[in-house]
Amino acid sequence: MSGKRVEQQPGFVLHAYPWRETSFVVDVLSRNHGRVPLIAKGARRPRSAMRGLLLAFQPLELSWSGTGELKTLVSVDWSGGLPLLSGSALMCGYYANELLVRLLPREDPHPKLFDAYAALLQALAHGRPQDLALRLFELALVRELGYAPTFDIDADGEPVSPECDYIFIIEQGPVKLQDGQSGEQALSGQTLLDLANADLSASESLTQAKNLMRRLIHHLIGGTLESRRIFMELQEL
Amino acid sequence: MPAALDQLIDALRVLPGVGPKSAQRIAYHLLQRDRNGAGRLARALDTALAQIRHCSRCNTFTEAEICERCMSASRDPQQLCVVEMPADLAMLEQTHAYRGMYYVLMGRVSPLDGIGPRELKLDRLLARATDGTVQEVILATNFTNEGEATAHYVGEMLRARGLKVSRIARGLPVGGELEHTDIGTIAQALYERRAL
Repeated sequence: MSGKRVEQQPGFVLHAYPWRETSFVVDVLSRNHGRVPLIAKGARRPRSAMRGLLLAFQPLELSWSGTGELKTLVSVDWSGGLPLLSGSALMCGYYANELLVRLLPREDPHPKLFDAYAALLQALAHGRPQDLALRLFELALVRELGYAPTFDIDADGEPVSPECDYIFIIEQGPVKLQDGQSGEQALSGQTLLDLANADLSASESLTQAKNLMRRLIHHLIGGTLESRRIFMELQEL
Repeated sequence: MPAALDQLIDALRVLPGVGPKSAQRIAYHLLQRDRNGAGRLARALDTALAQIRHCSRCNTFTEAEICERCMSASRDPQQLCVVEMPADLAMLEQTHAYRGMYYVLMGRVSPLDGIGPRELKLDRLLARATDGTVQEVILATNFTNEGEATAHYVGEMLRARGLKVSRIARGLPVGGELEHTDIGTIAQALYERRAL
């Protein structure tokens, strides 16, 4: 096959769907080439060597070639080191994958986002607190995609003060609340500064960050997340 | 192109893996080379559509209200094995290692494809498993992420109703040698090693 060949890229499978009789199209997040759709030829044959490797949430090294929109997967190697996800950790993983599939344009590399995703999977696979891991990933996502507002400067151009309360207006930023004002979505200046520093170790910052991230992501997605809907339904079983 | 031919080509595209080119090729073949076969196919489709439905107990394809396997008196009604597809059931039957009942989900939880409990009608499985006779539920969904998600939530749902729940084991294939086994399988076999 003619066309550029890309060798041994660290990557993760985000989603795979059947293609023709015996193949898959795998949507891959790679560190240096961003999100690339690859055809895994013959990967659905019973004895395919690729079949057992093309699992989501597993660190892989992938090589591909081709110049079109859909490239051909040439080889895949197991990098390993992560137990398979299960239970709610698995659902968190699906949530992250859905965000990436829906928000990240193709072939737009974001090494920092890739690293944040890898860190999320590490935390999920090793049973570390899911809330914190998810918030840090969401923060990296909105920042890397250029959707993150500056958290430490308010809408009037003033530095955010840890002592004041703010309300966050999407596409405007933090707006300082006057004394005595409050709102359901009010958050402290400290939370905003923690977000700016990507440090959510304080529990109040983590809780407030969750509400803010949910609003931001809802705004970006412009609809409902299937993984969230299904997670809620599964919880009710 | 005659309208009927157009319609045929369009209809053939419902087949998995068949695009516009293949659909055209199949249509020409059926009309030109194998009109008898085409007739048989048309009649078989009609009959199957009219007669095949889901077994009211195990959800697999059947012609009767309740399939033969579910009616069988020689099977253990206290065990219920949950599988994704009828092909999985067929494989388990070949093992001769299981004599209980089945429930076929006809799919798996797959959040990125929008398939959850509602789409899988998990309430039907719940009703089947809590009939008062079933004691143990064996989860035999695939060892993919989707199969794992399915097993986890179905397991939690049934355990909460007081049923004994187990999951088929995973590891090296019987007669398998480490040297020739794929790395992911060996890695997971290590993570899930058991004490002797």
